Amino acid sequence: MRLVEKIKEKEIQIFLAKAFVFLAILVILDFLIGSILEYFYFKQESGLLYRTTYSLDSTHADFLVLGSSTANHHYDSKIFEKRLGMSTYNTGREANTIFYNYSIFQSVLKRYKPKIALLDFNVEEFKVSSDNYDRIASLLPYYKSHPEVHSIIQLKSPYEKYKLLSKIYPFNSLLFTIAIGTTDFNKSREQVNDENGYIPLTHVWQKNISIEANTVDYEVDSNKVNILKSFIEECKNAGIQLYIIISPRFIKYFGNDLSVELVRKIANKSDIPFYDYSKDTLFWKHREYFADKVHLNNTGAIIFSNKVIDTILQSKEYRRIRDENNLSIKIK
Amino acid sequence: MLFNSIIYFLFLGSSLLLYYIIPTKFRNYFLLIISGLFYMYVKVEYIFLILFIISINYLIGIKIEKAHDKKWQIFFLYLSVFVNVGILIFFKYWNFLLKNFFDFLGLIHLNNTDNIPLIAEVVLPIGLSYYIFQTIGYMIDIHRGSIKAEKNFAQFSLFTLFFPKLLVGPIERANHFLPQIKRNIHFDKQNITEGAKRIAWGLFKKLVVADRISIYHSTVIASSESQSGSTLLFASVLYTFQVYADFSGYTDIALGTAKMFGFDLMENFKRPLLAKNVSDFWRRWHISLSSWVNDYIFNPIVLKNRDWGIWGVFYGLIISFVVIGIWHGAAWNYVLFGLLQAFAIMYEFITRKTRKRISKKIHPVIYDQASVLLTFLFVTFSLIIFQSGTLSEAINIIKGIFLNHGDLFYDKPSTLLFMLIGCGIMLIVDIQAEFGRFKFSLFSNKNWIVQQVSYALLLIYILLAGVFDGGQFIYFSF
Repeated sequence: MRLVEKIKEKEIQIFLAKAFVFLAILVILDFLIGSILEYFYFKQESGLLYRTTYSLDSTHADFLVLGSSTANHHYDSKIFEKRLGMSTYNTGREANTIFYNYSIFQSVLKRYKPKIALLDFNVEEFKVSSDNYDRIASLLPYYKSHPEVHSIIQLKSPYEKYKLLSKIYPFNSLLFTIAIGTTDFNKSREQVNDENGYIPLTHVWQKNISIEANTVDYEVDSNKVNILKSFIEECKNAGIQLYIIISPRFIKYFGNDLSVELVRKIANKSDIPFYDYSKDTLFWKHREYFADKVHLNNTGAIIFSNKVIDTILQSKEYRRIRDENNLSIKIK
Repeated sequence: MLFNSIIYFLFLGSSLLLYYIIPTKFRNYFLLIISGLFYMYVKVEYIFLILFIISINYLIGIKIEKAHDKKWQIFFLYLSVFVNVGILIFFKYWNFLLKNFFDFLGLIHLNNTDNIPLIAEVVLPIGLSYYIFQTIGYMIDIHRGSIKAEKNFAQFSLFTLFFPKLLVGPIERANHFLPQIKRNIHFDKQNITEGAKRIAWGLFKKLVVADRISIYHSTVIASSESQSGSTLLFASVLYTFQVYADFSGYTDIALGTAKMFGFDLMENFKRPLLAKNVSDFWRRWHISLSSWVNDYIFNPIVLKNRDWGIWGVFYGLIISFVVIGIWHGAAWNYVLFGLLQAFAIMYEFITRKTRKRISKKIHPVIYDQASVLLTFLFVTFSLIIFQSGTLSEAINIIKGIFLNHGDLFYDKPSTLLFMLIGCGIMLIVDIQAEFGRFKFSLFSNKNWIVQQVSYALLLIYILLAGVFDGGQFIYFSF
């Protein structure tokens, strides 16, 4: 009986030893592969991932554009630089929301204070959506180097900090994007402009304008609302003039969108200039300005950028900035 | 609690530790408690329904066995089927049946009311279809005399509640599972390692293949009207891989988990994408459901109608596959999906001699590969109907495949690469298991280090390419 127990005990010891070896192999591989990915991630000099790194670590632009794909494709930084006399960087990134914008803004604030921030806000942006939380993943590579993004990353899931013990996890699904980013492939593509962040769309939308009802009954995500309020507050505290803008769409809505109404109220209450172009009839008449239902192409973006600049130039807030600052163009 | 969530692995790890620490005689009770907690984690109220189903079936099972009169035996069997099917209809099919009944009355001008007595917001308890079918099978087995009714209430409860198979099967058989509960289970390192390997493989299928394809497929289908034929065809082909990876991945995790606790569950998949005909496909796909339908529906129907000859077989096939179809959900597209399978098997039955003649004239390798390809294409086609919310949606996708011109949309190059690599690895592993073509094997290599490094690399690849926010398993909606 004692012999059987001894054999069993030894078997368990061997099993535990083997499990330990397996875990050690796993940890070593994770560390090695994760380190290689990290090295190449931050070595990129062009492309989507590079632009996020540049937004977080390097930009010193006086005028910052923040938002999702609509921000990225609608605001031509060069036009802003030329007409406003301010260096401009477009930090917009596809499918991201206020979570991403706020993180970028926090990192920027650690380094310097831009003079103007433009937040491109989307219809239904405050709607509860798990996808929006999934997209926070785009900030994971910066978890270690940017403590200011921790609070946003924690919103993704309460287990995120444990998952981030893995060195590979922050680069999940990025293997091929990093591989492409380290080559000259991105630079060779005409539309990629890492210099100022703006990415023009070239194709033209072929369909007629959509007529859609606004869904007014959706659940509002209080996290997003609170973050927007903090964003506004921090802009005010830092003396940064914020403009909140809703881009044109090739959709005629009947009814008002809950998020748009809510952001309008918040902006009015905080005395933040707010402009809603989602119902601008100029754009509804020109299909050729659009690449799809919600994105302007380059032609549309040039017209829209000029229109936004006209509005900014006429605003009392801009006149105050102009008078207070001696503006100069600083282009990377 | 999703099988691919961190919380599940915390639950699994702590449960396993306690399971092997406590004395052997208490282990089944412990399993019963954690299975109950597992189900309550999904939704607390569900536990009352499942306890009711367990209690009533426990009592009726004993009654069937003890009834000396055959009439009483049949009465208790029918009572059990009535209760189980009644619960299933109430939660899953009531609204569908009633709506179609009133639509039918409206069609023959007998109904003028818009007030159809639908059940408002009835939520289907997760796993109900699986454990109801399992319980019905148990009752029929007692009635047939192939098993004895379980007298130990705790053991009978564990038969239904055992958490690895509770939510998405396999639909276990009493004669396979109940004897395992009666054993004394001791710690066996083989069970732990085999189970862990199975779980790792399941995670690969789910996170790397199924969830990755799901992102692409859902994007394409959401905008199917504006997608090109090549894109729709590509998405449809990928969907076959997605459903297979999703369901078999989940099953692998279930089987791996059960193995770690010392239990062997039924195999549910046997490389179905390598099936040479539709009959063969259904012997390899969701085996626990297809064999259940075969044993408890098809065979009795054919036996009862043996005087009808071939028509009895066809009749049995149609009924069986309509049940398989409707088991997936209360919608006509599932019925049509089932009927398609039945007609395909009927066609194979009629043409078997002709096909045999043709096969003799063609090189066996070419004939076999062509058969696999044709079966795959048929399955892909029928899954278009399966995945579509309505029949018109399915027709639009099929029309789009043939009529919409344009380039293949594949999102980003990385999306395409991740999907193809995932499907490729899964296929290679299946081909190796089916034919043993490659002499060198990584995962079953005799060298312990090579094997461990292979599994470590598998986990690393899951970390690199897995989708960690992929949402629920497709089969959860059934």
